[in-house]
Amino acid sequence: MNQRALGPILVAPALAMVVLFFVYPLAYSLISAFWSPEGWGWANFIKAYELYRNDIVFTVLIIALSTALVGVFSIAIGGYLVLGENPRSVAILKWLYRWPLFIPFVVAGQVMRTFLAKNGMLNNTLVGLELIEPVSAVSLLDWRGIVITFVWKQTPFVALLVAGAMASLDRSMIEAARNLGASRLRILLEIIVPQVRASLTVGLTLSFVTMMSVLSVPLMINAQTPTTITANMAFRINSYGDYGVANALGVISILLTSGVAWLYLRQASKDKSRAIA
Amino acid sequence: MKPAQILLAGVFAAALASTAQAQTTLNVATAGDQNMVDYINDYLGPLFEKQNPGTKVRALGTGPGDAGSQKIFERLDAQAKSNAPAWDVDVAVVHEKITGKLVTDKLLANYRSGIQTANLATRDSSKAALGTPVDGYVMPMFHSQTAIAYNPDIVKNPPSTYDELVDWAKKNPKQFGYNGIKGGMSGVSFVMGWMYAYGPDAKKLQNGPFDAELTKSKAWNYAMANLKEFNKNVTFTPGNAGTLDMLNRGEIAMGPVWVDMFYSWKAEGRLNPSMKLKLVGPGMPGQPMYYVVPAKAAQSDLAKKFVALATSPEVQAEGIVKRFSWYPGIDAKHVQAKLDGATWQKLFTDVTPDDLATKGKSFPVGPYFDAILESYERQTATN
Repeated sequence: MNQRALGPILVAPALAMVVLFFVYPLAYSLISAFWSPEGWGWANFIKAYELYRNDIVFTVLIIALSTALVGVFSIAIGGYLVLGENPRSVAILKWLYRWPLFIPFVVAGQVMRTFLAKNGMLNNTLVGLELIEPVSAVSLLDWRGIVITFVWKQTPFVALLVAGAMASLDRSMIEAARNLGASRLRILLEIIVPQVRASLTVGLTLSFVTMMSVLSVPLMINAQTPTTITANMAFRINSYGDYGVANALGVISILLTSGVAWLYLRQASKDKSRAIA
Repeated sequence: MKPAQILLAGVFAAALASTAQAQTTLNVATAGDQNMVDYINDYLGPLFEKQNPGTKVRALGTGPGDAGSQKIFERLDAQAKSNAPAWDVDVAVVHEKITGKLVTDKLLANYRSGIQTANLATRDSSKAALGTPVDGYVMPMFHSQTAIAYNPDIVKNPPSTYDELVDWAKKNPKQFGYNGIKGGMSGVSFVMGWMYAYGPDAKKLQNGPFDAELTKSKAWNYAMANLKEFNKNVTFTPGNAGTLDMLNRGEIAMGPVWVDMFYSWKAEGRLNPSMKLKLVGPGMPGQPMYYVVPAKAAQSDLAKKFVALATSPEVQAEGIVKRFSWYPGIDAKHVQAKLDGATWQKLFTDVTPDDLATKGKSFPVGPYFDAILESYERQTATN
């Protein structure tokens, strides 16, 4: 058999998998977002807007906040790993910070649910240490709980990427800055972070997309309204068997994540053109 | 042989042995919490296997709440649409809400007349599920009821009506907790009870027929607006279990719960034993879980036998009432005779049979049910 024919044949099984299990379901849910019992149209989107506009804004806000915090913490962790002067604390941090990576979201949610409750472990500890008064203990099981869980769970992932990039930097620049008397914070922010910006953006973009799709954490932690888009999608399907509005919410999620992906791609191509120039 | 090989050989031999013994498998799919799967795996399954040598009961849990029933519906629906000659579910345990749809979509067998326990269940719920006639297609497994659980150390005089509850919540802000409508059925039930108390025509909500005008009526909107106001004084809890957890940690003093869950948590030592229940007037909903047999169940005769055993007075007494603290599915009088007085009394300490008869309501019929949930969503979306 000639080589040219072999290529497509070898690719075919993988391509079929992608089409069958990714392209087809995606297209199906996109299309059915426009179908309601009244026929084709925007009915599902109108309903999604009427009922869930607060939830959509809420989702974007808490996930943007979580992403920002993840960025701050992962830079701090990566920075300490590169610039830390006490080898023992660096070793301990290096060993510790990855742990949440191996814990699934649903388990993290379950742990936080008892940890952050009004009379939960966190408040009990603070009261026990006489840091707060029992009456001033508040439950963190609302949007704050989601943000805490997301940040706790996603920071190691971004920190892993960022720390790796930081470790592979040319240390001579750091040494030079240090010789000139720059503080460690200044070295981190002005020398290191700009050089690892690409890894940081990849990590944060992936985190944003991951957090957009998490259902277990909002379900377990956030009892209030508004809640996240995912929780509402689950509710539409489970309570009403209504795939139309659920798919419309899905389309809205895709648009939001595509927006972030577009920002990321634009950034990446800008970096590339700058590198060429 | 290496240890791993020995282990593998052992597993293989065990698998062979079990297939040699168990020729037929009865697949039981059940919606609901883990305790439903436990009930079949730990109690009913082994009992059935003992009485029918050569069979193996395999329980499959599809998840809590209506979501679990929805999955069973989708599984049967998919097999019906693909014209499968025999379906892979022989007996299903489903919630009330989906049952009407299962019957109207012709996914179930009319099996009830074929079993000898058919006449033991005569309550309304064995004839209609939320207004849809299901007579012949279902046998109730058990009845479940929601009620208000409270901490008697904090609440000396528990409210006995919704009116008193509203007053109490106003005087004790954030001490009443419930899980909204997206965190499980105990919260949904509280909202439905609210509509019976303050909304239009509670009878019509429960029995139908559906009238879209009612959902736009003044009384409807008034009840919803009041509920929104009431929500300002409450704490929202994460789920059915979340309400019990918060009650137990002293974060709330009162909240709606499922009676059976309340009792089983107490029995397991997960709940402060002093907690009590109160069924408030005019009433709160409860619901049966149904045993159904799919229209093309592969083992339909065995399935009927299984349901007959499951709804026999002995099993209802020992399994449903004694072990799991559920209210029996078949009529109580058939079950009471099989139990000692103390066990029977335990089930009715806080909520008396009289309370159940007068304040135990059914959920609204399907379209009203959805309309109430959606109105609630609309209210909370526009705050």
